[in-house]
Amino acid sequence: MLKLERVVKTYETVRAVDGLSFEARPGEIFGLIGPNGAGKSTTIRMIMNVISPDSGSIRFDGEAFSEAMKRRIGYLPEERGLHKKSKVEEILVYLASLKGVDRATARVQASAWLERFDLADWKGRKVEELSKGMAQKVQFIGSVIHDPDLVLFDEPFSGLDPLSQDLFLKTVLELKGRGKTVIFSTHVMEHAERLCDRLLLVRKGKELVSGSVSAIKERHGKKAVQIEFDGDASFVESLPFVESVRSFPRWIEVSLRGAAGPDELLSAVAGRLSVRRFEVMAPSLHSIFVSLVGGGEGAVAEGTGSEDGADGGPAEEAQAAREASRA
Amino acid sequence: MPKIVAILRHEFRLAAANKAYVVLTILGPFLILAITILPGLLSMSPAASSGGAPVAVAVEAASGSGPGASALSALASAAEKLGRKLVKVEAGAEALAAAKAGVSQGGYAALILLPSSWEDSGATVFTKTGTEAVLYGAVEAALGEAAREIRARRSGVDPALARELSRGVALSVVKLGKDAAEEESGDQEFMTTLFTVMSFVMLLYMTTLLYGQLIGRSVVQEKTSKTVEIMLSSVSARELMFGKILGLGLAGLLQYGVWAGIAVLLSTFAAPALGLSAPAAVSPANLGWLVLFFVLAFFLYASGYAAIGAAAEDEHDLGQLAWPLLVFLIVPLVMISSFVMNPDSSLSVALSLFPMTSPIVMLVRILVSPPPAWQVALSLGVLLASIYAMASGAARIFRVGILMTGKRRKLKEILRWARAR
Repeated sequence: MLKLERVVKTYETVRAVDGLSFEARPGEIFGLIGPNGAGKSTTIRMIMNVISPDSGSIRFDGEAFSEAMKRRIGYLPEERGLHKKSKVEEILVYLASLKGVDRATARVQASAWLERFDLADWKGRKVEELSKGMAQKVQFIGSVIHDPDLVLFDEPFSGLDPLSQDLFLKTVLELKGRGKTVIFSTHVMEHAERLCDRLLLVRKGKELVSGSVSAIKERHGKKAVQIEFDGDASFVESLPFVESVRSFPRWIEVSLRGAAGPDELLSAVAGRLSVRRFEVMAPSLHSIFVSLVGGGEGAVAEGTGSEDGADGGPAEEAQAAREASRA
Repeated sequence: MPKIVAILRHEFRLAAANKAYVVLTILGPFLILAITILPGLLSMSPAASSGGAPVAVAVEAASGSGPGASALSALASAAEKLGRKLVKVEAGAEALAAAKAGVSQGGYAALILLPSSWEDSGATVFTKTGTEAVLYGAVEAALGEAAREIRARRSGVDPALARELSRGVALSVVKLGKDAAEEESGDQEFMTTLFTVMSFVMLLYMTTLLYGQLIGRSVVQEKTSKTVEIMLSSVSARELMFGKILGLGLAGLLQYGVWAGIAVLLSTFAAPALGLSAPAAVSPANLGWLVLFFVLAFFLYASGYAAIGAAAEDEHDLGQLAWPLLVFLIVPLVMISSFVMNPDSSLSVALSLFPMTSPIVMLVRILVSPPPAWQVALSLGVLLASIYAMASGAARIFRVGILMTGKRRKLKEILRWARAR
């Protein structure tokens, strides 16, 4: 569906995107993951032909970007805005008609989507009367109302309450179910974990890791085991294949070294402790993200998925300002 | 529906559903009423602007007949023409004070004081406002007539002979139209033509400026409200710019259509019904020129404003960057009287061919005295070519500028974008 090869973009002295390659396949949700300033938005804007890459190629089903393609693509930019004086339904019908949808169909679609996003009562109201979250919902609808084959969401969840986030997540999964390709960027790992089939983790414009979520977890996730027990577990720390142990009142969490598997740990503790629970913990994307990107990155978001975690921290604002002055 | 039509439709609705637009479209006809009917009404008869309180006159050292009496009869007939009565008051200090009080309270329109030898020393008129020129003119004329007669008699000349000797020569002005055909005219004609020309030019200037700035603001707002990236994910920058220009242009044209239609109706039906003739300059042909030049001026300036709007950082910046456009609009307005009086001077001809000023200047020339057809054709040709050049340059600037944020740009830098491929 969409293929990027060695795409490079340099702003004056900063290399914002440094040789990124990836492919999003039909019916797949692809995540562009990374801390703020990693080059996610720049990549998406290059895909949308808003800015052009210095080198590398971006292909849609093997073809270069063209005006005609715009009908098949939906786009929710990171910096969002709507004509303030327009009415909600009017603006949606307008956005759809710009994609070549006839007005009657657009009106039916707009009603259905507004109903679904609990905005039916706001149909005739002006955009300026909407709350920020509502306006974002309207824009989300605007990006999918023409039933595109490929949708790009740039930080779609920022500024939304948890209920709306769930609604967005559900809608995105539905798009995938209908064979659409979805590409989205986020720095909230929980969303990436829930949605992505495959992802690309970027940092400073470079690829850190890419592939399917399960493969990444397999490869980079640190194996951790929780053991709930009775007895003295102090010997565990000195086992050769144990990297570290965190102690909790009733259990310990053991991180394993290198190629060691949970089986070795199980046989090592068997008989020396009375084990009540032995659980292999699935590594979270968040922990992988933190370990790969490094805790030193101040802008790394906590994987809470809450509004404050996702939106408008000072670091992000500074980044936006930098981005603006570069462009 | 093609995308550009969708944009055009949206922009047209945004502009035409605006309160200011509706008000202007409705109030416009009153302005047209003013330029079609009012000049006729005003010049119909002096009585139209007079009538009312009587005029008091006091003659000092009154002698039954002589200078005072002839002045009184002249003033009485003058007052009658103005539709006022002439009332004689005593010249005593007390009576004069009472008469002056009457003037300031509105009982009398004026008090005329004739001293004993007024024909040499002059007379005085007291009025409340001091601006009733028609009244002063009538009084001055009547007294002058009477004084000349008195002086003639004093010198032993027959007053009839004196009248004959001092008679002036009538000068009638005839305007020659196409093929030297005589057009009904008079000194009044110059005033009404000037009036109509001024009205047309002001209309053209104001609407061009208004719609140009509307385009500029609409583009800047698209930028500042961050809608532009969404728009560009659906349409090309070119479609966006021309959609906006055409949409607003259509709104302007509709407004002009309403105005011109009403003007034609008023001058062909309403004015004759009232027994007035509309100024000759307000003809369907001239209204057609007005609309044509509006359309051309609009496209020229709208392209310029669209480019500057795309390059501007915010509305304040837009105002600063737009000054060169504004200068070209204002210059012909400032020099308007020179074009009206010398429509065929080389300056008039030059500025009526130069595209930035030609809509206004050529319109003036056409209204005042039809210029040679080749000049009109050349002017229109240059204008069309300039619109094409301006629009394609503007489209390039627009494409570069619309996505640029965070920095104010110099005009020079912006103009460089126009050359970029």
